[in-house]
Amino acid sequence: MIDQPQDDQFRPRGSVDTSSALLPYRGPWSPRLAAHLLRRAGFGGSPAEIDAAASAGMNAAVDGLLDPRPDPLPASPQGDLTYDPMAPPKQRRDAYLRAASWWLDRMLQTPNPLIERMTYFWHNHFTSGVQGGITPAMMVVQNRLFRANALGNYAYLTHQVARDPAMLLYLNGNQNRSQHPNENFARELMELFSLGVGNYTEQDVRESARAFTGWIVPRDGASANFVPRFHDAGSKTFLGHTGAFAGDDIIDIIMGQPATAQFMARKFLRNFVYDDPEQELVDATAGRFRDAKYDVAALLGTLLRSNVFYSDRAYRSIVKSPVDLVVGALRTIGVTTSTPRVIGAMNGMDQVLMRPPNVAGWPGGAQWLNQGTILARLNFLNQLVSFRAATPDMSTVSTGTSGPLAWIAGVSQTDAAAVAARVLDLTVQSDVTDEQRRSIVGFLTTDGVGNPVELNGENIDEKVRGAMSLAMALPAYQLE
Amino acid sequence: MSTRRQFIVQGIGAFGGALAVDSIFARAARAASQVTRAGASASRCLVVVNLQGGNDGLNTIVPHGDPAYYNVRPTINVGQSDVLAIDSSIGMNPKLASLKALYDRQRVAVLQGVHYPNYVLSHFRGTEIWQTAAPDSYDTTGWAGRYLDKAGLPADNLFKGVAIGPLLPKMLVADKTDVPAIGDLRGFRFNGRADEQAQADRILMGDGESYPFDSPYLQLVQEVERDARAASSKLPHLVAGYKPAVDYPKTPFAQGLNLVSAIINSDLGTKVFYVSIGSFDTHAAQRPRQDALLQQFGDGLKAFYDDLAAHNADDRVLTMTFSEFGRRVEENANRGTDHGTAAPMFVVGGGVKGGVYGDHPSLTDLDYGNLKWHTDFRSVYATVLEGWLDVPASVVLGDSFKSLNFI
Repeated sequence: MIDQPQDDQFRPRGSVDTSSALLPYRGPWSPRLAAHLLRRAGFGGSPAEIDAAASAGMNAAVDGLLDPRPDPLPASPQGDLTYDPMAPPKQRRDAYLRAASWWLDRMLQTPNPLIERMTYFWHNHFTSGVQGGITPAMMVVQNRLFRANALGNYAYLTHQVARDPAMLLYLNGNQNRSQHPNENFARELMELFSLGVGNYTEQDVRESARAFTGWIVPRDGASANFVPRFHDAGSKTFLGHTGAFAGDDIIDIIMGQPATAQFMARKFLRNFVYDDPEQELVDATAGRFRDAKYDVAALLGTLLRSNVFYSDRAYRSIVKSPVDLVVGALRTIGVTTSTPRVIGAMNGMDQVLMRPPNVAGWPGGAQWLNQGTILARLNFLNQLVSFRAATPDMSTVSTGTSGPLAWIAGVSQTDAAAVAARVLDLTVQSDVTDEQRRSIVGFLTTDGVGNPVELNGENIDEKVRGAMSLAMALPAYQLE
Repeated sequence: MSTRRQFIVQGIGAFGGALAVDSIFARAARAASQVTRAGASASRCLVVVNLQGGNDGLNTIVPHGDPAYYNVRPTINVGQSDVLAIDSSIGMNPKLASLKALYDRQRVAVLQGVHYPNYVLSHFRGTEIWQTAAPDSYDTTGWAGRYLDKAGLPADNLFKGVAIGPLLPKMLVADKTDVPAIGDLRGFRFNGRADEQAQADRILMGDGESYPFDSPYLQLVQEVERDARAASSKLPHLVAGYKPAVDYPKTPFAQGLNLVSAIINSDLGTKVFYVSIGSFDTHAAQRPRQDALLQQFGDGLKAFYDDLAAHNADDRVLTMTFSEFGRRVEENANRGTDHGTAAPMFVVGGGVKGGVYGDHPSLTDLDYGNLKWHTDFRSVYATVLEGWLDVPASVVLGDSFKSLNFI
């Protein structure tokens, strides 16, 4: 049983007008809202992407996110990512790093940010992780399943997840035999993947576990096999229905329960709109999801065009996850390739992709924020923008042609106020207090002990890097 | 309900929007004076050691009097002549000689057969259960974090809890308390040039009203960042007066305990520390790996208590170990052991009634090859919370658990 905190600790101030919350937003459109859309529906926009979304208009920008373009990126990482159970740590680590870098690079380079965003959403919903016999190769198989169905149908994806090799190993489905049922998958399917706690009984767990018996994962882990003699073909009674159910029948019954749409609606709202959404907003969103027969693109289309999404209450109301922060920062400064160093830095922020802490996934929100993770976040950002090709210990991060002069392109290099404005626009869309803006200008116009300096060709590189580091240390930068 | 956010909003008011440069010194001094006023129990602290990876209990506290042990461990057993005998049935691994010396001075309680209900064999989940003290739910706070929130400690002390290591362990995640995680003193700092740092404090001074947007998380981010900057910039100065009285071994574990001693002896009012050592995940070639780690563990602990004794502080420091699980009774084909269940815990230091508590679990009456536990780990926590830290255990653990008598 899971305690689902239902309090409203981090609900935005004010109240929601449920009658209009999900209706299309018709207010003014701006670069600020375009950037908001790109942070939530992707991993943050580059300046060019924000400009494009701002001039396209809201509907066209959302259409573009929902309508995938051809994807030229590698569908799988290079090389063999399988290993046997006794493989040495270095081999496991290398395989893991290749898989995680491949995914991070996809996030950095994708023409379809919403698809990568939803791939991450499903990873944190239908959780599995590299451990024991679950190799990075299996996590890539699962990752591709999530990508292929990123904007597809939630019910269909649930059926596929029930026979996914990594999932079968992660929740002991491959040990679930007619003679010795293992309830782990059946329980988490209902508790965390669909109905939510309180909407089924222990008897339902036991009966449905029997229905999922019979799947095994062969050694290569590429796909699972159904073995009829391991399956319990007897009659089961589940949520008031009786029959010789198999796993797919159980999922069909789950998808017919109103609680499933409620549970998923809350999750979509927490990920895309704000934490601790009001029950009325959850109800309205669940209704839309049911009406759309669990079509994810339809639900996202509604949410990303909605009044509530563009309201002040939703704006910067979500704490960036480490992956949001890191990928967003790299995209902002024009870096398009990740490195093991980036993955190590994310570990310091308490997030290891493809290895969530437990089956409940990363809880997010306030749980991302403590002194250690903040230190890791700000030190990573500082190193990122301080990087110079000559700095040996950052040699694993490639900034390519990006750099301070590219970040302030088109701005007079001697105009401190203009440079500060560009840096603040690039990082936090100018969501700063007057005092913070003055601090950045002050940094650009003084030396380390407070004496005035003028920006010039000699100090501009160093000063812009410092200003970027300060701007990324602003509280607003941790929020999306 | 008191929440971290409410606390922070109130906290900002108390700071008045300006963080005086030396306010943290004043805070630490205030915390220390409160400690003195409140008497002996208030100056006590707890050090929790995570034997990370699943320590094999059978080769730690060895049932050398039981022939079944030598049957199930034909190649990786600790020989009868090597065991540091506690009595005719059990004894310590010979690499724990330093710990045995403390045991012989009545400073160590050995708690046998401890685990939690409905065991899982996952490192992650097992660790999380021990750290949240919540086997039946996925709690977002740790048990020690909840203690720090509820113990009525000075709200402005930045060091109520300290984790040694780069990551904050779940055990010290709290709703209202930000606990710093410190890898080592030199690494616990913000990067950046001096001119950046000078402005960095300034950009955190804004209050919520002057921002052009509102966010339910804005104050929280600002406060955590401000705490982290203050704690990291001040800690080296606060502990500068401490000099170790012994040479700590050069292992990460002992160096971590050295930092713990520095903080304890600088009277920062810290109530809970977390240190880890590992990995004890010995699926193959167990003996050399586990023996080396047990040696580091015992030697580190011995140096720590010798140092504390020299500073007249050993009576106010209690150390408790845990590991996510013990290991399978029968050894595997790779001279290692797979994930298992019950294992012994050690409680060391001030206030401990030395000795062995609870029977060694049977090696023949097993649960699918695993030891049957008899003592719920939350009983151990409850004993420490009530007997050492002076708080009602149910406030932290959400329920009542039988107290044991090792304190």
